[in-house]
Amino acid sequence: MAWRIGIDIGGTFTDVALVEETSGRIAIAKVLTTPNDFGQAVIGGIRQGLRQNGIDPADVSLLSHATTVVTNALLENKGARAGFVATKGFRDLLELRRSSRSDLYDLFQDAPAVLVPRRWRYEITERIDAQGEVVTPLDESEIEGIAAAISDAGLETIAISLMFSFLNDSHERRLGARLRKLLPGVTVYLSCDVLPEIREFERASTTAVCASVGPLLAGYLDRLQRTTASLGLPDLHVMGSSGGVIDIAEALRMPAAVVESGPAAGVIAAGLAGRQLGLSDVISFDMGGTTAKASVIAGGEIAVTAEYEVGGSGSAKRWQNGTGHPIRVPVIDLAEVSAGGGSIAWVDPGGSLRVGPHSAGAAPGPAGYGAGGVRPTVTDADLVLGYLDRESLLGGALVVDLAAAERAIETDVARPLGLTVPEAAARIAEIVNANMAEALRIVSIERGHDARSFSLIAFGGAGPVHAAALAEELQIPEVIIPPIPGAFSALGLVASDLKRDYVRTLYADLGSVDPARVAEAFALMEQSGRAMLDTAQVPEERRAMPRLMDVRYRRQAYELTVPLPDGRVTRASLDAAMAAFHAKHELTYGHANRAEAVQLVNLRLTAIGRLPGLLLAQRGDAGVARIRRRDVWFPATGFVATPVHWRPGLVEGETISGPAIVEALDSTVVIPPGWTARIDGTGFIRMSRS
Amino acid sequence: MPVDSVIFGRRLRTDPARFEVVKNALASAAEEMKIVLAKTAYSPLLKVAGDYSCGIFDIAGNMVAQGPDLPIHLGSMPDAVRAVVRAFPDAAPGDVFIHNDPYQGGSHLPDVNVVAPAYFKGRLLGFGCVRAHWPDIGSATPGSYGAVTEIYGEGLRLPPVRLYRAGQPDPGIEAIIFANVRTPTERLGDLRAQVAANRRSEARLCALAEKYGADELLGIMDEVQDYSETMMRAALRGIPDGEASFRDIFDGDGVIAPGETEDRTFAVELRIVKSGDSISVDFTGSDPQVAGPMNAPLTVTASGVFCALKMIVDPKSLIPPNSGCWRPVSVTAPEGCVVNARLPAPVVYANHEMSHRIADMVMAAMFRITPTTVMAGSQGTSAVVTFGGTDYRSGERFVSYESVKGGFGARPVKDGINAVASTISNMMNTPIEILEMSFPLRVEEYAIVPDSGGPGTWRGGLGVRRTWRVLERDAHAAVCCERTVTPPFGLAGGSPGAAATLTLRHPDGSARRLTSKGAFVAPAGSVLVVEAPGSGGYGPPSGRNRAALAEDVVDGYVTAEAARRDYEDDTV
Repeated sequence: MAWRIGIDIGGTFTDVALVEETSGRIAIAKVLTTPNDFGQAVIGGIRQGLRQNGIDPADVSLLSHATTVVTNALLENKGARAGFVATKGFRDLLELRRSSRSDLYDLFQDAPAVLVPRRWRYEITERIDAQGEVVTPLDESEIEGIAAAISDAGLETIAISLMFSFLNDSHERRLGARLRKLLPGVTVYLSCDVLPEIREFERASTTAVCASVGPLLAGYLDRLQRTTASLGLPDLHVMGSSGGVIDIAEALRMPAAVVESGPAAGVIAAGLAGRQLGLSDVISFDMGGTTAKASVIAGGEIAVTAEYEVGGSGSAKRWQNGTGHPIRVPVIDLAEVSAGGGSIAWVDPGGSLRVGPHSAGAAPGPAGYGAGGVRPTVTDADLVLGYLDRESLLGGALVVDLAAAERAIETDVARPLGLTVPEAAARIAEIVNANMAEALRIVSIERGHDARSFSLIAFGGAGPVHAAALAEELQIPEVIIPPIPGAFSALGLVASDLKRDYVRTLYADLGSVDPARVAEAFALMEQSGRAMLDTAQVPEERRAMPRLMDVRYRRQAYELTVPLPDGRVTRASLDAAMAAFHAKHELTYGHANRAEAVQLVNLRLTAIGRLPGLLLAQRGDAGVARIRRRDVWFPATGFVATPVHWRPGLVEGETISGPAIVEALDSTVVIPPGWTARIDGTGFIRMSRS
Repeated sequence: MPVDSVIFGRRLRTDPARFEVVKNALASAAEEMKIVLAKTAYSPLLKVAGDYSCGIFDIAGNMVAQGPDLPIHLGSMPDAVRAVVRAFPDAAPGDVFIHNDPYQGGSHLPDVNVVAPAYFKGRLLGFGCVRAHWPDIGSATPGSYGAVTEIYGEGLRLPPVRLYRAGQPDPGIEAIIFANVRTPTERLGDLRAQVAANRRSEARLCALAEKYGADELLGIMDEVQDYSETMMRAALRGIPDGEASFRDIFDGDGVIAPGETEDRTFAVELRIVKSGDSISVDFTGSDPQVAGPMNAPLTVTASGVFCALKMIVDPKSLIPPNSGCWRPVSVTAPEGCVVNARLPAPVVYANHEMSHRIADMVMAAMFRITPTTVMAGSQGTSAVVTFGGTDYRSGERFVSYESVKGGFGARPVKDGINAVASTISNMMNTPIEILEMSFPLRVEEYAIVPDSGGPGTWRGGLGVRRTWRVLERDAHAAVCCERTVTPPFGLAGGSPGAAATLTLRHPDGSARRLTSKGAFVAPAGSVLVVEAPGSGGYGPPSGRNRAALAEDVVDGYVTAEAARRDYEDDTV
């Protein structure tokens, strides 16, 4: 018996997933999150999981964890006292940003967030030019003065980002070494270590994010690691934003790499489910209390982006420079919209019905939860429509106040629009579905994928309620509800490979660059990757090191990332990558120019230690089967008496024709009329239009 | 607050849920156009600085949805599309049209409109329009920012012409265009990006027509405009009625008249009458059109008015910007005055310099009507800097165009914002490392200017200094920067922000102040220093929170000397 344990900390619950490697048996422990010390809930959850399932800590093979510590620290401005050192003339880079504002017409918008106050920004005389050559030598005589100022200010960390250090890092490294020596208690982050890439603001911002959250993350992981070690558990790993787990040393080298730890885990889980079911094209859809997130897995590949802002107001439309801090590290490409069970419905002055972006959150919560909420939410609409049990939820733990839900919808939506309460509830559901369809559209259609050839894997507390309606909207033929949808992200943690990303800038014409130069740059990254995998004791047969290249037409500014074929780097393999770029440009933007010079910008290497395959399974027991009935509303039928099944009682091969509801402790599945659901051998519910 | 729609005397014709879905889909179609353009364009101005706007238009040329682009194009883009509608009653599937004529809805010659009709099963659904600023459109000066006295000297003027027929470019038209602009390869890349963005809008409109039916889609494209109009009227009713005027002085037009030694200033005057659910802005009393390119077509003037009004009456940005928004707003000016120019007046500077200032002037006048939802004078300029010549590293020609951002005005309850685009602009800076890789220039300083924010209870936003060294070979340069003479105003007792300064430092150490607008030769080794203006403060400096002032001093936004002088604070 070998168990893997994944821990996902959510706003309300900390989920611990325990999976046995050979049988795929899943166990879950859910404990209340402890916001003042997240570690308490983690330890409590692990202990509970081990005890309830009689697991010996010595049988645990992997312990991995998704953390929101980095994101929360930035959102709540609780980062370290961090300073910033720039080339002379550029200390204000972090405040000057890209000079655009986040909202065009909002007269009272706040100034964009600045990570390092001006008093803690320093300059040093030096300059490297666009060819990587020294124009002004590093003035070493200034270093002691800077160190003294940093020391006087009592700073904990320093980010250093000098001009063109991605081409020539000698000044940055020299300055870093001197400051480390002069300031032994201060952690120094160099932009050439964190992100050796062009664009001074984005590089500086990424480095400053690391400096700001590094100490906090280090303290948190250190405490957690010591406690888990005391339980006799193996080394702790952390989910990285790009969808692989990394060891603690890597997380501390590059704290910005763990920002989207939690959402990444959900997408990984969806990827695993897709692989297990033999589906290479799936859309991962995660709907919780306040937001819905969508991500695409096409051809078995999880989509990753390098443009991301952390600590700002969440938005599906990342394009506009937002209010957060840009980080240029690979992050799983997901679109997030303010659409969850708690999203509030309202009528705007033009007479249009809107849902969100405001959410009733956990407090006061939906009106129907009877905890003081008076605004109508999506959950209230789901109660009125009968998608959710009108009497109680969470296995009876939460008694529903249906009258309060109806009252809220009546006051804020039905009366202003001249509708009945059920009609208004139906419109609310329709709009929230449309908002979420927008998120799905962003990751699918906008990226050139036809949603009609994908399956939708739905999870999160509210995902399975709305999934089929969304699939109707986007003509997605199949919806899959995995086992334990309410704690699915934690499952993703135990399914993730060990993974670390490396990048180096190599500016060259792809058509004429000497393959030896490319090979040499990759060899350096391969060396680092091998060392990391050696440390983790990953056997040779489970290693992979895929190579990618960021390329673009010479005069463009945005690259597309294409794979470089395995094996020796040759003219032929580079030409193959070039052909892949033209094709991808055409797919993404509708045109390609094969006569145009193609510019190589970055080389990327990912070192992967693959875990032994894992089968997710949760088999039912016909002995606990039961069917109740309630009236449920569907667009095609209006209210109709609908059977309500108990999920733990469903067994392999059963089929259920819609309209029907499948309930479990952690989530409710809605099967509309015209849809048929089938239970497969591993407990997945697969629904399609009949 | 949710408000009963019946209060406004009308309800939506379409089902509210369906309407919301299609309205959002139209907005996201416009946004997708923007993404396609930025990611595929060749010039840094488009690909990293974002000087363009994308929109979806109905079959008459009215704007249905604009991407989150530049408010400067709000007023004139519909006119640009209408000019195409007028000129080509025979438009057919696969057509693409191009034009940049400021006297037919264009803004200035560098802003090139590419307009494409969208057809669904042979039926016209509407148009996509991508207006993108080309860094060069010909003329005697690289960057096309010379101070000339007729539009004929400003570069290539294209009336609406058919660029693509049946999906194929017309080689003759393209040959004319590329024979007249510098760096034609780069321009071709930009043009292809504009066409690709329009293709995306057509695809999205067709997908919507497929799903909801063409009739339903066209109905909603109309109704989206009615919806914005309804909301705009409701918002206007929410502010008091009143009348107010404002007069402001401009630096000049870049042309020094014979016998004079300095560029002469001129004045613009506006009068606002707000009554019930409508508002009118009239420019009677403004000076006649000027010799140099500071003349604005009326649509450019209107863009400045629209942008400021939207910020004032809809500060939470709830109303989708489209042609319906502006039905309750009338903008009038005597023909032949500097804000309603007649052919052949040159216009290139006015596009952003006039619309920036007019937006600020509307804020100043509206202060008398609704003092709590306006802001003090912002930077009021795009602070444009162009360089052109030959790159010593490659031997290739280059043209660079940048805009330097200053302060965003102080608000009644908040400080201004430092170094960010304000009102009609939302252009980004060009990353210095990309600039230096692309052009033979070295940026030596990019920094916030202390004390440039206007003192006030709420301090104005700070301006920015950016300096460029010209490397190895002489370059042709041009500047265009208002607010070197009159600084951005404060409101409610707040003081003005710092004015702009433009200086050329020669390799021999000598320096000279530059006139606010015009072209010059920047010798190899010289350094151009531009200080973009700060913004005005709101409320008297005596009302400034002393702790906030102390913080400002620690951070160097306000020097101790200025704190004593401007805030009469001796404790710092």
